[in-house]
Amino acid sequence: MPEPEALRVETLSRQFGGVAAIDAVDLAVRAGETLGIIGPNGAGKSTFINLISGALAPSRGRILLFGEDVTGLATEARTRRGIGRTHQIPRPFARMSVRENLLLAARHARAAHERRADREHCDAILTRTGLADVADWPAGRLPLLRRKRLELARALALRPRLLLLDEIGAGLVEAETRALIELIRSLRTEVGAIVLIEHVMDVITACCERTAVLSSGRLLTVGPTREVLADPEVAAVYLGTGEREPAPGAAPAPQGGRQSSVTPAPLLEVRGASVSYGGVRALRGVDLVVGEGEVVALLGANGAGKTTLARAISGAVPLAAGSIRFAGARIAGLAPELVTARGIGHCMEGRRIFASLSVEENLLVALPPEARARAAGRLEAVYAMFPALRDHRGKSGTAMSGGQQQMLAIGRALMPAPRLLILDEVSLGLAPIAVEQLYESLRRVRATGVAMLIVEQNIHRGLQLADRACVLAHGELRLAGRPQDIRASPELRALYVGEDAAATAPP
Amino acid sequence: MSGSGARPGQGGAARGALIALLAAVVLLALVPYLFGTYWQQLGFRALQLATLAIAWNLLAGYTGQVSLGTGAFVGLGAYAFALLGNHSAAPLPVLLLAGGAVPAVFAVLVSPGLFRLRGLYFTIGSLALAEALRILMVNLSVFGGASGIVLRAATPPFYALYWLALPVMVLALALVLVLLHSPVSLSLRAVRDDEDVARQMGVRSFRVKLGAFALTAFITGVAGALQSLKLGAIEPYGAFGMSWTIDTVAIVIIGGIATRGGPLLGTLLYVALGESLRGLPELHNAIAALVLLIVIRVAPQGLWGLLLRRPWRRATAAEASDA
Repeated sequence: MPEPEALRVETLSRQFGGVAAIDAVDLAVRAGETLGIIGPNGAGKSTFINLISGALAPSRGRILLFGEDVTGLATEARTRRGIGRTHQIPRPFARMSVRENLLLAARHARAAHERRADREHCDAILTRTGLADVADWPAGRLPLLRRKRLELARALALRPRLLLLDEIGAGLVEAETRALIELIRSLRTEVGAIVLIEHVMDVITACCERTAVLSSGRLLTVGPTREVLADPEVAAVYLGTGEREPAPGAAPAPQGGRQSSVTPAPLLEVRGASVSYGGVRALRGVDLVVGEGEVVALLGANGAGKTTLARAISGAVPLAAGSIRFAGARIAGLAPELVTARGIGHCMEGRRIFASLSVEENLLVALPPEARARAAGRLEAVYAMFPALRDHRGKSGTAMSGGQQQMLAIGRALMPAPRLLILDEVSLGLAPIAVEQLYESLRRVRATGVAMLIVEQNIHRGLQLADRACVLAHGELRLAGRPQDIRASPELRALYVGEDAAATAPP
Repeated sequence: MSGSGARPGQGGAARGALIALLAAVVLLALVPYLFGTYWQQLGFRALQLATLAIAWNLLAGYTGQVSLGTGAFVGLGAYAFALLGNHSAAPLPVLLLAGGAVPAVFAVLVSPGLFRLRGLYFTIGSLALAEALRILMVNLSVFGGASGIVLRAATPPFYALYWLALPVMVLALALVLVLLHSPVSLSLRAVRDDEDVARQMGVRSFRVKLGAFALTAFITGVAGALQSLKLGAIEPYGAFGMSWTIDTVAIVIIGGIATRGGPLLGTLLYVALGESLRGLPELHNAIAALVLLIVIRVAPQGLWGLLLRRPWRRATAAEASDA
C-alpha cells in the first residue's frame, strides 16, 4: 500500500477580479515530507496557503487532506482536521499574552479529551521557540521578529498534521537561520508533513527534499530541491543571475564601492548618540559619519540597535545623550517632519504603502505643499531611477509585486530630493531576483549623488554597494571601515553571526 | 482540565478579591436599612446601569462586537415583562427571566444577518436594528403603540426594587466573571483581536459571537424588565430609547472597557456625576461628554486601567531594546 499523501490539490485555482492568482495547480505533498515552495513576489505563494487553510475559497479545484476532501470545509473545521499555518505578516492576538495565544490554539485544535496538559505543551513550545522569557507579555508588544516566532509557536501549539509555514526565515542572521533549520528538521518526526514557503535559500536547501516553483500563479516545476534550484528556467524567473552570497569572513569579493581614498565632506555627523527605551539603553555612545554622496552600510545582529540609530537620526526616537549634525546644523530634537525638510529621507522597515492611492499619488504625497511646483520634475527623476514605477503609475500602490512596492517606498522617500537617504531593511522578504533589481536601482540612486545609510541584514548586498561599513553590537559601534576590510575581518563573523548574535537573540 | 485563565501567584489575589466582593455585596444589601428612599432609588438606578454596563462590556470589551443595540434589548425585556405579567399569573422571577429570554431569542434570530457585518458595520447594523425596532413598537397597536402599556400589578416600594436589582447585578457580574475565568475567555478575546486568525486556530467564531451576543441580550433584557416594574407603565420612546445605549457605553468607557472592574467603577462615577449636576440638566450632557473626552485622552483603558499599574511597563522597555 502506498504512503498516504498529506495533501493533494487538483486543478486548484483562485481568481481575483480577472486575474488568476493561482491557476490550475496540481500538487501533492507526501506524508513525512517537507516541501519547499519558492517563486517571485506575487507568484501566488501566500494565496496558495490561504486556499489550503481555508482563509480563501478556491474558484475551482479540490483540496484533499490525508485523503479527505476538505474543499467545502470552513477554516476552523480544517484546523480541527490538522492544518496549522503561520502568516507572512504576523497576526498575533495582540491583547492576549504570548502564552494565551498558544493556549487558545492548543485548546481548539483537538477534541476535549485530548486537551490534557495544554499548559505544559505550550510552555515546552515557548521554550523551544525562544519565547519563554516573554510568555506573559501582551503579544502586541513583541517586536517583528519575535512576532514571527510567535506565529510558528502558535501553529505548533495546534499539534498540526500538516504545517504551512509562510516566510518564517526572513530577516534572520546566520546563527538564527541555523537554529530555525534545526527546529524545522526536528519537527519532521512530530508533524505529518510541512509546506515551507521561503526566500531564504539556505532554509530551503537544508530542509526540503522537494521544492515546487510557482510563477504567476502557475506551477513552473516541482522536483528534488537540488535539481529545481539548478534549473535555468527557475534561475530566470526567481534566483536571478545566481550570484551566491559568500560567507562573511571569506575572501574579499570585487568592490562596487567608491575606491577613492579622498574622504568626502561630512554631511551627517553623529557623536556619542545614546538612546534609551524605558530603562534599557538601546544605543550607547555611537559615532557615525556619512559624507556627501557617500554610501554607508550599517550592519549587525537583530537587536544590535541599527533601526534605533536610523530612527534617532530621522527624529523618530529622542536621544538620551549625544549630538547629531546634518549639513553643519544640529538636528537632534527636531520633529521628524522637520528633519525630512532639512533633507533626510527615511525609508522605514515595512513598506507602508498607501493602498488606496495610486503609485503616482503615493509619490506625490511625499512632497511638501510648497514643493508642488517641482512635482513633475521630481516624478521624472524618481521614474528615471525606478523605471518599473513609471509603468505602473496608475495602479494601486499595493497592486504591484513586493519588489516594486519596495521601490515605491524608496521612491517616495526620494521625492523631496533628500541629500541623505536612510534605507531600513529594504531587501526583507523579497525574492532573490527582486533584491537584485532593487540594488540595481539603488546604484542609479547613488549615481545621482544622494548619500545613503543602508541598514541591511543581507551583508553581501550591503557591502557591495557601500563605500564604508559600520558594525553595531549591543548598541555599540564595534567595527568601521572599508567594505573589503570589514568583509575580510575575522571579527565580523564573531560580531555578526557568531556567539554574540546567539547571545543577543534567542534561537 | 485545570488550566483556566488564572496564572500562578494569582490564586491568593483572586481569593482576596472574592472576599472583598462578598463583603461589598453584604454592605450593599444593608443600604435600605441605613438610607432613605432617595438613596434606595439612586441605588436601584446604579445597580441597573451597572448590570447594563457589565453586559455590554462582555460583548464590546471582551468579544470585540461593539453593539449599539442596548436600547433594543432593554425595550424588549421591558415589554416582555409587562405583557407576560398582564396576561399571566407567573411569579416575579419567571417574569424577570422572560424579560431576559425574549431579547436573547431576538439576538439569536438576527445574528445570521447581523454577524455578516464586521467591525464598524456591525455597530451601525445594531444601531439600525434598534431604531427600526423602536419605530415598529411605536406603530404596532397590538402592544399599545406610542402610548405603551400599563402594568396591572402594583409598583413595589423602592427598597423592594433595590433588593431585586442587587441580586440581578450580582448574578450578572458573577456570570461574566466566571466566564472570563473559564477557557471561553480565550475564545472571546481571540475573536476580538483577529476573528479570521481565531478561526484558523479552530475557534468556531460564529458560535462564540452568538453566545456572547445572546448572553448580553439576556442580561440587558432583565435590567429592562426591572425598568418596567419600577415605572408601572412603559412606552416605546423611553423603553427603546437611545439614552440606555449612550449611558451604557459612556459608563464602560469611563470605567475601563475590557476590564473586570470598569463597569462598576464607571457606574459609580457616572451616577455621581449625574446627581451632582441634577440642578443643571442642560449642562449635564455637555459635562458628561467632556469627562468622556478627557478619559479617552488620558486613560484609554479607563479609570480602572489607570488604577492598575500596568505590570508590563518594564516589559515595554525590554521589547524596545530588541527593536
